[in-house]
Amino acid sequence: MNAAVHAGGLVKSFGRAKALDGLDLTVKTGEVHGFLGPNGAGKTTTIRILLGQLRADGGQVALLGGDPWRDATELHRRLAYVPGDVTLWPSLTGGEVIDLLGRARGGLDPRQRAELLERFELDPRKKCRTYSKGNRQKVALVAAFASDAELLILDEPTSGLDPLMEAVFNECVLREKRAGRTVLLSSHILSEVETLCDRVSIVRAGRTVESGTLADLRHLTRTSVTAELIGPAPGLAVLPGVHNLTVDGARLRCQVDSDALTPVLAELARAGVRALTTQPPTLEELFLRHYEGATR
Amino acid sequence: MTGTMTGTMTGTMTGTGTLIRLILRRDRVLLPVWIAITALLPASIASATTDLYAHQAARDSFAAASASNPAQLAMRGPIYDASVGGLTAWTLGSSLALFGGLISILLMIRHTRVEEETGRRELLASGVIGRHAPLAAALAVVLAANLLLGLLSVPGLVAGGLPAGSSLLFGLSTAAGGWAFAAVAAITGQLTASSGTARGIAIAAGGLLFALRSLADTGGIGWLAWLTPFGWVRLTRPYAGDQWWVLGLVAVFVTALAVAAFALSTRRDLAGGLIPARPGPAEGTLPGAFGLAARLHRGTLAGFTIGFGALGALLGVAARGLNTQLDTPQFRELAATLGGAEARLSDVFFTFVMYVLSQLVAGAALVSALRARGEEAAGRADLLLSTPVGRLRWALSHLVFAVMSPVLLLTALGAAAGLTFDGDVARVTGATLAYLPAVWTVVGIATLLFGLLPRLTAAVSWTALGLFLLVDLLAEFKLATGIVLDLSPFVHVPATLLGSASSPAAPLLGLTIVAVALTAAGLAFLRRRDLTPSA
Ligand SMILES: Nc1ncnc2c1ncn2[C@@H]1O[C@H](COP(=O)(O)OP(=O)(O)OP(=O)(O)O)[C@@H](O)[C@H]1O
Ligand SMILES: [Mg+2]
Repeated sequence: MNAAVHAGGLVKSFGRAKALDGLDLTVKTGEVHGFLGPNGAGKTTTIRILLGQLRADGGQVALLGGDPWRDATELHRRLAYVPGDVTLWPSLTGGEVIDLLGRARGGLDPRQRAELLERFELDPRKKCRTYSKGNRQKVALVAAFASDAELLILDEPTSGLDPLMEAVFNECVLREKRAGRTVLLSSHILSEVETLCDRVSIVRAGRTVESGTLADLRHLTRTSVTAELIGPAPGLAVLPGVHNLTVDGARLRCQVDSDALTPVLAELARAGVRALTTQPPTLEELFLRHYEGATR
Repeated sequence: MTGTMTGTMTGTMTGTGTLIRLILRRDRVLLPVWIAITALLPASIASATTDLYAHQAARDSFAAASASNPAQLAMRGPIYDASVGGLTAWTLGSSLALFGGLISILLMIRHTRVEEETGRRELLASGVIGRHAPLAAALAVVLAANLLLGLLSVPGLVAGGLPAGSSLLFGLSTAAGGWAFAAVAAITGQLTASSGTARGIAIAAGGLLFALRSLADTGGIGWLAWLTPFGWVRLTRPYAGDQWWVLGLVAVFVTALAVAAFALSTRRDLAGGLIPARPGPAEGTLPGAFGLAARLHRGTLAGFTIGFGALGALLGVAARGLNTQLDTPQFRELAATLGGAEARLSDVFFTFVMYVLSQLVAGAALVSALRARGEEAAGRADLLLSTPVGRLRWALSHLVFAVMSPVLLLTALGAAAGLTFDGDVARVTGATLAYLPAVWTVVGIATLLFGLLPRLTAAVSWTALGLFLLVDLLAEFKLATGIVLDLSPFVHVPATLLGSASSPAAPLLGLTIVAVALTAAGLAFLRRRDLTPSA
């Protein structure tokens, strides 16, 4: 079995509201998997099912080869979780919480703990009630990264971190990946997804709408082309796969489907090119296309 | 007063109206229920008194018996007038102040410190909410609710034939009890960064002030009653001379504390307390779920144990002089109906007082029993339960303390009372520990609700305990009988000191079985349901 998470057709309702409506998710062992989607799409609900906190109404789910609801206790030995909104025990210090969670997970590496505290610039002697949101987040992150869990489940883990700390977080995730661990990362931060994730799943309204590598997904979108031509290129307008063509004297702009790039470039070459820029689709464009119309 | 001064003052109050609406919306069930129950009680007690003691002679003998009953003196103070109104005011004065005071404290802390602690206040404060607005809004709502319930009780009393002026004074005295403790909680909510501590200090202050009144009335130190709100609410003497000016004392007390609370809120940071948080250890030694639970429960348990121990010691001292001091024919009559003419005065006293205090112990046990749900609601359970700690183990780690809490508290209460009374610790402790199964039943109810109705656990558990208290009060006036009365676990506890029950073990065993069954069912349901943080 080489899938750390395998969920198919997950359904979960809260009263009359359907949070998950046939969601599929496969996370392969050893990969960093991005879990994306607009607010309220069902990411957190899925994660809470994976953690055995919620019971799915329908569909199948396997986590590390077990049933997340029935085998919760045994499976939790092998995973670490960081929630999006970390609430901690106000009267405990950050250090105490890290050790509590670490001990409960079967111990943590003291050397790593010290190193992570330093890199995240976290003072473990402070009471949790005095921590800011970002610092509470760091407590949970240090506890997770210092454990030797084989699967990390991170739900918007950087939502309170400053850019410097985000960079530290990215390094930590890459290190986990090199160590062969699996990471499920729900995130709204596209640059983070772009740097870290091998594959992503995009969900909307409780269903998976897209799943694959970033390259796969990019393939489904358009490249923007800007060119300064020597002669006219009349054939361009009628080529299939060319969109939003504007011609302004010698300057030309258009968007091109990935599989139409070759004929477009041939047409441009025929007209003669003085300057040419092509831009791959940005992640923003990619996601906006999937997110659009998703507001419920 | 300069213009800028007025300007800043209004600025700090900005948004009070918005917050008042928010509070009214959040408590749209609790407030009406509380107000309705409290407003209806006086009229029903008055009419029950009229029915039960129709003639002046009957009322006189009831008053004489009560005056010779030290437990009644400790709980309610002396009777000023044996009229229907006088007896109603005497019956309810203390209870309503306790009840209204407790609810006012809980509401004040809920809408001031809890909001800050959970960070919700931050969200609002970044909008157009002035620094003083949260405190002002909470005070406005709680004071208004108390006033309203006091006023609403008047028409029923007047309709029952009682004089309007005195009824109004009685209504306002009821409100005054709530007002005093709303003001106390306004202060404690500013002192510490933890809502639990703020609540604890306010409730402890309430306990102390009540004990002071008890001491004043049982120990013959009458002037002490002038030092506490529990004294003031009876010193207004409704239906017995109507001393309106005593309300002025309450007004001064409330104003002074409110001004002080606003001054404190000016001097501290948002979410900070005046008592600053100290840094703690960088490394933890909590061995797991049970270690964590011990950490979370120990402060509350230690505080309650000391409190009940102190209360017990006080009662023991108060009971010392009783056997000679109050040995009157009226008392013999009372004793005969309870356990036999040979019953010792002090035993009657302990029996009465323990009955009431056992329900307070149940309240303390409920605080511990509700902590697991509190952890879940706050979202902290999510994090802990993502580790190999299982649900059952987590729930048990908290349940152990809810089960141990009444053992500790009832022992402290009984042992301290026995020690200061005649040194016979075992006898009184045995009597208090007899309430253990009844308190466990309350814990069982909370656990069942925790498994079945997570969102309503706290509200319904406290309501259930409140209803048990109410049933007892109504039973005293024969308003609750038979099945209704039997619903309260406390009425099934045998009075071991009076030797009234032939086989005291049977009801205790029965209650224990009920408690275990409720608890087991709650845990079974918990394992089957979704975790539900309150978001
Ligand atoms: N306990 C609950 N009770 C009722 N509805 C819920 C509950 N939890 C989630 N929902 C609903 O389920 C849907 C999915 O929510 P979920 O938290 O999984 O979204 P999400 O993808 O994590 O969103 P976000 O990006 O904002 O974190 C939402 O419509 C939400 O309102
Ligand atoms: Mg979410």
